[in-house]
Amino acid sequence: MSEDLAKVALRTVQKLGASYADVRYVRIESENLHVKKGVPEEIRRRTFAGIGVRAIAKGSWGFAGTTILKRASAVDTARKAYKVACASARVKKTDVKLSPIPARKAKYSTPFSKDPFKVSLKEKLDALKTAERTAAAESKQIVKTSSSSFRAHREKKLFLSSEGANIDQTIVWCGGGVSATAIRSGDVQIRSYPASFRGNFNTAGYEFFESLDLAGHASETAREAVQLLSAEKCPATTTTLITAGDQLALQVHESCGHPTELDRALGTEADYAGTSFLTTDKLGTFRYGSPKVNISADATTPRGLGTFGYDDEGVPAKDVPLIKEGVFVNYQSSRETAAHLNLPEGSSGGMRADSPLAMPIVRMTNINLLPGDWKVEELIRDTQEGILMLTNKSWSIDDRRLNFQFGTEAAWLIKNGSKEQMIKQATYTGITHQFWGSCDAVSNDDWHMHGTPTCGKGVPGQVMYVGHGVSTARFRNVRVGIA
Amino acid sequence: MSLETLSELARKATKLAVKKGADQAEATAFTFVEDLTRFANSQIHQNVATHKDGLRVRVVLKKKIGDVLVGAFDPSSVEGAVSDAIKITKVSPPNELFKSLPEPKKYTALKGTYDRKTAICDPNFRADNAKRAIQVAHNKANFVKAVAGSYMTGSASFAVANSLGTDAKAQISLAQMAVTVISEKQGSEGHGYYSAYARNVKEIDVDKIAEKAADKSIGSVQPVRLEPGEYEAILAPDAVALSLSYVSNGFISTWFQDGTSFVKYNLGKQVFHKKFNLRDDGRDMATLYVSPVDGEGVPKQSLILVKDGVVNERSICYDSYTAGKEGKDSTGHAVVPFLETFAAGPDLTNMVMAPGDASEEEMIKETKRGVYVSRFHYVRTVNQPRMILTGLTRDGTFLIENGEITKPVQNLRFTDSFLDVYKGTQMIGKDQERQALATIPTLKVTRLRFTGVSEQ
Repeated sequence: MSEDLAKVALRTVQKLGASYADVRYVRIESENLHVKKGVPEEIRRRTFAGIGVRAIAKGSWGFAGTTILKRASAVDTARKAYKVACASARVKKTDVKLSPIPARKAKYSTPFSKDPFKVSLKEKLDALKTAERTAAAESKQIVKTSSSSFRAHREKKLFLSSEGANIDQTIVWCGGGVSATAIRSGDVQIRSYPASFRGNFNTAGYEFFESLDLAGHASETAREAVQLLSAEKCPATTTTLITAGDQLALQVHESCGHPTELDRALGTEADYAGTSFLTTDKLGTFRYGSPKVNISADATTPRGLGTFGYDDEGVPAKDVPLIKEGVFVNYQSSRETAAHLNLPEGSSGGMRADSPLAMPIVRMTNINLLPGDWKVEELIRDTQEGILMLTNKSWSIDDRRLNFQFGTEAAWLIKNGSKEQMIKQATYTGITHQFWGSCDAVSNDDWHMHGTPTCGKGVPGQVMYVGHGVSTARFRNVRVGIA
Repeated sequence: MSLETLSELARKATKLAVKKGADQAEATAFTFVEDLTRFANSQIHQNVATHKDGLRVRVVLKKKIGDVLVGAFDPSSVEGAVSDAIKITKVSPPNELFKSLPEPKKYTALKGTYDRKTAICDPNFRADNAKRAIQVAHNKANFVKAVAGSYMTGSASFAVANSLGTDAKAQISLAQMAVTVISEKQGSEGHGYYSAYARNVKEIDVDKIAEKAADKSIGSVQPVRLEPGEYEAILAPDAVALSLSYVSNGFISTWFQDGTSFVKYNLGKQVFHKKFNLRDDGRDMATLYVSPVDGEGVPKQSLILVKDGVVNERSICYDSYTAGKEGKDSTGHAVVPFLETFAAGPDLTNMVMAPGDASEEEMIKETKRGVYVSRFHYVRTVNQPRMILTGLTRDGTFLIENGEITKPVQNLRFTDSFLDVYKGTQMIGKDQERQALATIPTLKVTRLRFTGVSEQ
């Protein structure tokens, strides 16, 4: 049925005269569970299916999408896509060119053991309630709000193109988290596990959620929230900063992931998210970070939230180095943007849309900071004075991705190689290439995948799920304690 | 699909849920049409036409709640959504804090919210307007390098019914245009931005939007570095609206009940300047997403958020669930389905800040040494109860010296308590501008703390 509709749409737009077209049939299921203060506040299931038709006509792009899955609607949507493309051609400077790719016929499914949608609701809610109640029990007077969450996503998509591609994929991801908010005299402190904003997510089955062991970490999470109330405020100074992976993931996301998107560098996101300081003249020569810094866009990383078989242009998942020993060597790109720069390797395979109703744009896959040669303990032991920051709380960066400021839920003062004292309201700020240039150590024993399911980009706005493989890293001469 | 058909669908799904054993049931049917032409580098690069249907079914059985949304209206999808929601209630624990779906209340429909021509606008119309904006901007100066932006037209319609008798519907058309202009002189870029939000394409003045964006851009090239510190500041409506969208979280019941709202710690206190008056009113035609009812069919009404700078318990907005927790009635702030975000809960989407009596020129004249901020960018909350926000300026930041704008400055980072910033409101603009979720005048504040500078 879905393949028939997609074929009808593709044939229609081809007959109208599109020089290139692709059609995606996509069905997305999601489940959100949220337990708060002892009650299930959200038990929500969402299912959306539709087709999206993308076409080039008269040298310009057009796109149309619908959730009405009928033959007449598929034809109408294809016609709209063609008409919209023709309208685009009224305001055109150059024709769209695509870097060549072989047309593939392929299938891909996320490997997993336990289908998160087949595990009973009761089992999932029991796990959440146990974790949430454990956090609440830590200090009933002071932990005013405790909550736990589970989220699962399944996306079936079929990609057909006028070049002959036929790719069938099923991507499954899930995860969750637990958090506790301690309040005393107007001081509000939150701690979360395994990450803030509802937890960590991987392309995996329910076994990943089980491995998080929320209940086993709930007490410590709540205890730290309470401890933060008595902690001193982060000092305003310039010092050595050690960031744990659950903060560094977002640092990589904002200060490397977004600026290496080629559509931003070429100015096509200028009206919303902005452009990039990594302009095309810097490719291959610009010193982005210290020689310790190696960052890749790797859509093949096992369990990464940005792991898939093929992107939404039919390009197979790739591992693309972005920063090599500190030097900016590659962009994340699409077939069109790669052709624009004549990149010999073509698209990096990062084109994705968040629904059948959205036109694919360049998105992060898994932007990974590759492991270094330190153990975390050695790294801390080697630090005479500094601050260790954990778990992202706030984030902000300018429209060219240079000036950033992050805040974390918790932090520790480091003195003479050991964690001496917990501190709160920790923030740090810097300029991207100076910050990464000051990186002198990256650990290798705590490297794992962090999932960010809420990366916003594009107009109309799209929300994509992306991953970050990171560990703990150290940076020198960082300004901290701004707020 | 007509609004009446959406209503029939909502009523049908509700009846089906009750027939299948629900104590209470609610169904919301919606259609969102979004056609958007996007341009960059002075040509159209993305152009979309989308149609999204959705049916949300909420079922209550012995305080167990199932919430299912499907993206189709065919009989099997409706049946499946109701059955799934019922299944959830059979296996989930009760939510003892839930009181009831809202009782039906009479409401008066709003007139003039929907323009068919706007709702079904032709892509050639949007393309020609994009072309016009690009031409107008480039004609402003020969060093205008590129024009970017978008022109959106469409409509949003929804109908909600519940088993207690609620039966409500609303429909609006939408037209929005935003233009970003990039100028370049001797390798130095200047950016400018302007936008307009309307329910009728006739209200979109393309020339004005393009000219304003171009003027800001042309005036922003070759900016100087301004040292961080505290400065007087004039915040254009776009900047006020973005900062206010974060501050206003303090008026939301979920924040209030969790203890993270600044209102909780300042009940009855004058938190903002006494000139500062703010309300939320979904029936105010000056706002964009007007609707006679909220997402649960509860009539929209004006809610005073700040009166003469003072906040109190009546400043808090509720949906039926969060209101029920406190034994109160909903204030009509359940989010309408097409604005539903990742997290559930009430929200403010029709804020109106009372105008003052100053013109922007008068504000500049009254500024000895300050910063004019056209827009904020990437604002985030650093501290919730004190409402410390951080973010950057963007698309036109200027130094004011002795009553005159003297030069553009590089984008600045601010980190400050916006309770303090708004308390320092010195002058309020006499003209309001409609932004997406708020209708706002320009503000002049006595101080804003800039904590960093972005590189050029």
